[in-house]
Amino acid sequence: MINEENDFRKLDLTVGDVFSKDARLKARNVNVFYGNNKAIDNVTIDIGNKEVISFIGPSGCGKSTFLRCFNRMNDTIDTCRVEGKITLEDENIYDRKIDVVPLRARIGMVFQKPNPFPKSIYDNVAYGPRIHGLCENKDHLDGIVEQSLKRAGLWEEVNDRLLSAGTGLSGGQQQRLCIARAIAVSPEVILMDEPCSALDPIATAKIEELIHELGNEYSIVIVTHSMQQAARVSKRTAYFHLGKLIEVGKTKNIFTRPKHSQTEAYISGKIG
Amino acid sequence: MNNKLINPTRASEIVRNSIAKRRAKDNRLKLYGRIAIGFAVCFLIFLFSSIFIKGYPGFFQYYVTLDINFDRERIDPQGDLSDNSLFNGEASKIVNEALFTIIDPKGRKAKKQAKKMVSSGKDVRLTNLVKSNPNLFGTISSVKFALDDDIDSFLRGYIKRETPESERRISDQIIKFVDKLDKEGRISYEFSDYILNGSASGNPEMAGIKGAFFGSILTLSVCLLIAFPLGVATAVYLEEVAKKNKITELIEVNINNLAAVPSVVFGIMGLAIFISIFGMPRSIPLVGGMVLALMTLPTIIISSRAAIRAVPPSVRDAAYGIGASKLQVIFHHVIPLAMPGMLTGTIIGMAQALGETAPLLMIGMVAFIVDVPNSVMDPGTVLPVQIFMWADFAERMFIQKTSAAIIILLGFLISMNAFAIYLRKKLERRW
Ligand SMILES: Nc1ncnc2c1ncn2[C@@H]1O[C@H](COP(=O)(O)OP(=O)(O)OP(=O)(O)O)[C@@H](O)[C@H]1O
Ligand SMILES: [Mg+2]
Repeated sequence: MINEENDFRKLDLTVGDVFSKDARLKARNVNVFYGNNKAIDNVTIDIGNKEVISFIGPSGCGKSTFLRCFNRMNDTIDTCRVEGKITLEDENIYDRKIDVVPLRARIGMVFQKPNPFPKSIYDNVAYGPRIHGLCENKDHLDGIVEQSLKRAGLWEEVNDRLLSAGTGLSGGQQQRLCIARAIAVSPEVILMDEPCSALDPIATAKIEELIHELGNEYSIVIVTHSMQQAARVSKRTAYFHLGKLIEVGKTKNIFTRPKHSQTEAYISGKIG
Repeated sequence: MNNKLINPTRASEIVRNSIAKRRAKDNRLKLYGRIAIGFAVCFLIFLFSSIFIKGYPGFFQYYVTLDINFDRERIDPQGDLSDNSLFNGEASKIVNEALFTIIDPKGRKAKKQAKKMVSSGKDVRLTNLVKSNPNLFGTISSVKFALDDDIDSFLRGYIKRETPESERRISDQIIKFVDKLDKEGRISYEFSDYILNGSASGNPEMAGIKGAFFGSILTLSVCLLIAFPLGVATAVYLEEVAKKNKITELIEVNINNLAAVPSVVFGIMGLAIFISIFGMPRSIPLVGGMVLALMTLPTIIISSRAAIRAVPPSVRDAAYGIGASKLQVIFHHVIPLAMPGMLTGTIIGMAQALGETAPLLMIGMVAFIVDVPNSVMDPGTVLPVQIFMWADFAERMFIQKTSAAIIILLGFLISMNAFAIYLRKKLERRW
C-alpha cells in the first residue's frame, strides 16, 4: 500500500512531458467544479496533432469530466463550472466570443454507451453534415455518408440497409455508427469516452483497429479502463488520480517504467 | 473478526422456509388486483349498458304518415320557391287538412286540439321538401311528420290512458284521435330526423344536437389551437431552456396548483377578463375555447414536461456532441421523441374540456340558440351544456333525448381517444 501522506506532496506537479511540440489542443491550469466539489484540479496538458492519447485512472478520478472540457459538453450540466484555459489552435475555447456549435463540429465526441439517434442509419450519419450545411446536394451527402461509414468500417455491413433503424444494429455496429457520425462532419479532434466498455472483445478489436487507422488523420483522445487497450491504441498516456493529472508520457514508458509511485501502484493493480 | 454472515446451508434453508409465505402474499396481491379490476369492469358495464338502454330510444320517435296534396298555388303562392313565398304559403294548413281527412274532428275545440298533434315543425318540413324536390308539386304524396312530444310519450306508455284526464298532459279527445290514426296504420316508430339534424328547440320532438355538436367542435378547435402550442412551448422552455432556480420552481408549483383549480373558476376568470375587460361577445365558441384552453394548459404542460423528461439524455448528448444548437436539439430530437406523450396529455386535456359545463355556463354558452354556429364568433352552445339544459326541462321526451345526447357525447369522446391512440402508435414507431 502507498503511504498517502508522502504521496500527496508529490502530486502538486505532474510528472512527465505534458507538453507537445506539435500541439493541437492545449489545456492550461484547468479546474472543474460540480457545485462546490472540485472534480479536476489544476490540470495542464497538450494534445498533439494526429496523436492518439489515452486517459487512464481509477473510477471517479475525473477522466470523463476532463475529456468533456475539450468540446464544452460540460456546458450542458447546470452545476458544472470550468476554470482555466483550453486553446484549440491558439484560440481559447472558453472565450466568451466562442460559439460551441462550430467548436463541437471541430471536436467530435463518441460516448461510452452507443447512442445512435432513433433514426435510420443514413440519417444518423447525415445529421451532422445537414445541420452544419456541409453538403451541396443529395449526391454529395450520399458521398459523405458512404465515406464516413467506410472509414468507420461499417459500410460493408450496412450498405444494403441504410434506411433501416440505427438502433437496430448490434452494440459494436452502433458504436461504429457513432464514430461514422462523428467523422461525417470532418472534425479535427475526436474525443472518445470508454468507447468499448459496452462491447465484446471482437467488436472492441474492430474499434481499436479503427482508432489506430483514424489516428493517422485525427487527434484522438480516448478514455479507457483497459490498460491493454491504452497500450494497443495510443502513443501517449495520461494517468489521473482524484482529479489530478499525475503522470503523462509515452505509453510504453508509463506501463513499463512509471516515474510516479501512484502510477506504478495503479498499473500494477494496487489501486483502481 | 466475528462473522455476521449466516452459513450458506442455513441461509438457503431460511429462504426455503419463507417461500410459502411470500408466495401467499404474492397471490393475495394478485387476487386483490383482480377483484379491483372486476369491480371497475362491472361498474363500467353497468354504466354503459344503463346509458345505452336509456338513450337508445332517444334516437327514435313516433311519426304520422299523411297524404299531402302538393298544391303549388297554396304552398308557393309566388311560384319562385323563395323563402318569402313559402313563408306566405299555407303549408301548415295543408298538413292540418290532410290530418283532418283521417281523424275527422268535429267542432272548433276538437280541431284546435287536432292541429297540435303534429309537431309545429310541419310547415318547415313541408317547405324543405318542396325546395329540395319541386317535382312533388301537383302530386299527392305521403309524408311523415313527427308527432307532438306528449303523444310520443303517450305511445311509449309514459303517459297512461288510465290516469284521469285532469292529471294527464293529453286529453281524451286526442287519445281517441291517436287510436284512430293507429288503427289506420298511420303511426310509425322510426329513427329520428331531429336528434342529429335538429338544434336547440322548445319542442322536444324537434330538438337535436347539431348546433351543440358543431359548437363543441368549434370550441375544442379553439381550445386545441391555443392550448397545445402554448403548453408544449412552456414545457419545452421549462425543461430545456430555463435554468433551474427559485423562479422556475415557483412557476412549476403554480402550474401544478392551477391543474387543481375547479373549472368554474376559469369560467369566472374568462368572464372577468375576456368579456368584461376585452369586451368580447358572450356565448361565442371563441371565448369558450379560450377559457377551456386556460383550463387544459396545466394538464398539457405537466404531461409534456414528463414526456420531455423521459427523452433519454443520451440522445441529447449525441446531438449536442455533434454540434447541434439548442433549438436543433429541441426540434430535431426532443420534441419528436416526446410527441406521443405530449399528445396523450393533450387528448386527456381535450377530453376534459369536451365534458366541461361549469366554466361555459359562466360565459353564457348556455343561451338558447337555434342556429348552428358557422364560425367561432357565432353564439353557440356545446354538447354537455345542451345535455345539462335538456336534463332540466319538464317534458318527458327530453329525458330520452338527454340520454341520446349523452351517448353521442361519449361516442365523440371515444373516437377522440381512439384517434389519440392511433396517432401515438403511428408516432411511436420505435426504431
Ligand atoms: N453531473 C455531475 N454532477 C456532480 N458531480 C459529478 C457529475 N459528474 C461527475 N461528477 C463527479 O465528478 C467526479 C469525476 O467524475 P467523472 O465522471 O469525470 O469520473 P471518471 O474518471 O470518468 O470515472 P469513470 O471511470 O467511472 O467513468 C466524480 O467524483 C463524480 O462524482
Ligand atoms: Mg467516465
